[in-house]
Amino acid sequence: MSHLFATYGAMLGKAILVHLAYTVTSVAAATAVALVLGVLLSRAPRLARFLMPVISIFQTIPGIVFIGILFLYLGMVPLTAFTALAIYAVFPILKNTYAGLLGVEEKYKEAARGCGMGPRQILFQVELPLAMPTIFAGIRMSTVYTVSWAVLTAMIGLGGLGEFVYRGVSTNNSTLTVLGAVPAALMAVGLGALIDLAEKRLTPRGLQEVKS
Amino acid sequence: MIEYRHVCKNYGGRAIVRDLSFAIEDGQFAVLIGPSGCGKTTTLKMLNRLIQSDDGEILLDGKNVAEINAEQLRTHIGYVIQQIGLFPNMTVEQNITVVPRLLKWDKARCRARAQELLRLVDMDWDTYAKKYPNELSGGQQQRIGVLRALAAEPPVILMDEPFGALDPITRDALQDEVKNLQRRLHKTIIFVTHDMNEAIKMADVILFMSDGELLQQASPEEMLRAPANDTVREFMGKHVARGAAGRDDIPCGEIMRKNVAHVSESWKMLECVQLMSSREIDSLVVTDDDGAYRGVVTIEGIRAHGRPGESVRQLLEEAPTVYTGTLAREAFEKLEQSGARYLIVLDGARHPAGIITRTSMSKALAYMVWGGDAV
Repeated sequence: MSHLFATYGAMLGKAILVHLAYTVTSVAAATAVALVLGVLLSRAPRLARFLMPVISIFQTIPGIVFIGILFLYLGMVPLTAFTALAIYAVFPILKNTYAGLLGVEEKYKEAARGCGMGPRQILFQVELPLAMPTIFAGIRMSTVYTVSWAVLTAMIGLGGLGEFVYRGVSTNNSTLTVLGAVPAALMAVGLGALIDLAEKRLTPRGLQEVKS
Repeated sequence: MIEYRHVCKNYGGRAIVRDLSFAIEDGQFAVLIGPSGCGKTTTLKMLNRLIQSDDGEILLDGKNVAEINAEQLRTHIGYVIQQIGLFPNMTVEQNITVVPRLLKWDKARCRARAQELLRLVDMDWDTYAKKYPNELSGGQQQRIGVLRALAAEPPVILMDEPFGALDPITRDALQDEVKNLQRRLHKTIIFVTHDMNEAIKMADVILFMSDGELLQQASPEEMLRAPANDTVREFMGKHVARGAAGRDDIPCGEIMRKNVAHVSESWKMLECVQLMSSREIDSLVVTDDDGAYRGVVTIEGIRAHGRPGESVRQLLEEAPTVYTGTLAREAFEKLEQSGARYLIVLDGARHPAGIITRTSMSKALAYMVWGGDAV
């Protein structure tokens, strides 16, 4: 065991950091984009009914193909991996933001309008807070997915834990595969827990108890 | 002063409100009533422009509401909806101060206002201010809903079937509270309901709508006595079925509520308090050992002077009484003159037989006009 870490320790540490960096930056960027898009789409439900299925078809393109195509255009730079991961991470958050906003009961919006709130105040004081649990579920899903998708970045030689996995698979060295897979799995669980914690702190008590 | 002038509203070619004109004086409690689909809610919502009228004008203190910025208008008109609609992400205090905060009141003023309002409905600040709506009962939630509408001191408040979702006991209590608040604060309230009993109890003036038109605008008494046409009569009749209309010789025995909680004067105070709390009432009728009426004991009386372990004999209070044979008409006058909340009805042997509350009296009033079930 100690022999393993002596050999791969530094490399593994770097791979974890790279992997984490890809995941966090792309999910963060995706969250920002998805929130804006989700809000805009929720204001135009007719457009959304047409657009959401299109985006959802796009989502079914395998990640490998997409990273490969981007690789052709952008080259072997971290930007390629970041862009591909971020685009994939957008959809679950977008879908949940949209669904969460549409799911806000009409009575709350009517009460808000009746109190004299404008559209922007209704969005920030009522709709977004009430959609928050759903939005968080989307962010969580995206994060967990992105951790596993980021394994693919090694395919185009951009590092991350995928490097261990691929090298392990191609040289029939299961130790290396495990060395890549276990931290990736732990990372997914850990980030998921962090998001749960953030959600708990950001959601008012009044919403937590009604949630089952 | 609120004035509707030839107001119309169509939905997809169907006229919901047609050529509606009426006026409501300041400080009046106006109830819009009519069968469902008669346009009463649409009429209400056109005032704060949640629905835009198609034609005609609505004047609020002489100003056409169409010319006032909608958001500004709504911060000056209180609004209570049926489904309560407290914001679940906000505490009681935050919910109450929504409109003051929109109006940019400073923090101290918001808090002072919230404290003042909670006192108004006897809800303790320390207990409730930081609670969320889902931690309150339905009745408490709608109390907060009413306070939210009152918060920025609007002269006019709109209520769209505010008590429809509440159980009968809570509804009765809230009706009393809102009516009291309205009298005390001198607000103009427009209140939509389809419940005639509620309308009779609350209204200074009832506006009866049917099929988008105003059929009659009159005080409850006048509407009961002289409904404008068959539609009005029929609608009221649905709530208190048709029968021997016009009788005015009904004795109290027929309209009283039986099943009155009574105790012997040898009962201990603690037992009385337990009985009151288990039946959710605030007073008990007290008799002597032979069952003859002696007086009443109230929770306030016990709280003020009571000592545990002693019998309630020391705390008896007077209450106005009538006999089962007394005419309901006379009982009505007695109830009005004494200002009491209820009358105790005694039988020939002076044993308590029932009580008459203001609610049972309003039902009886309807009974005298149309007959049917009085109690």
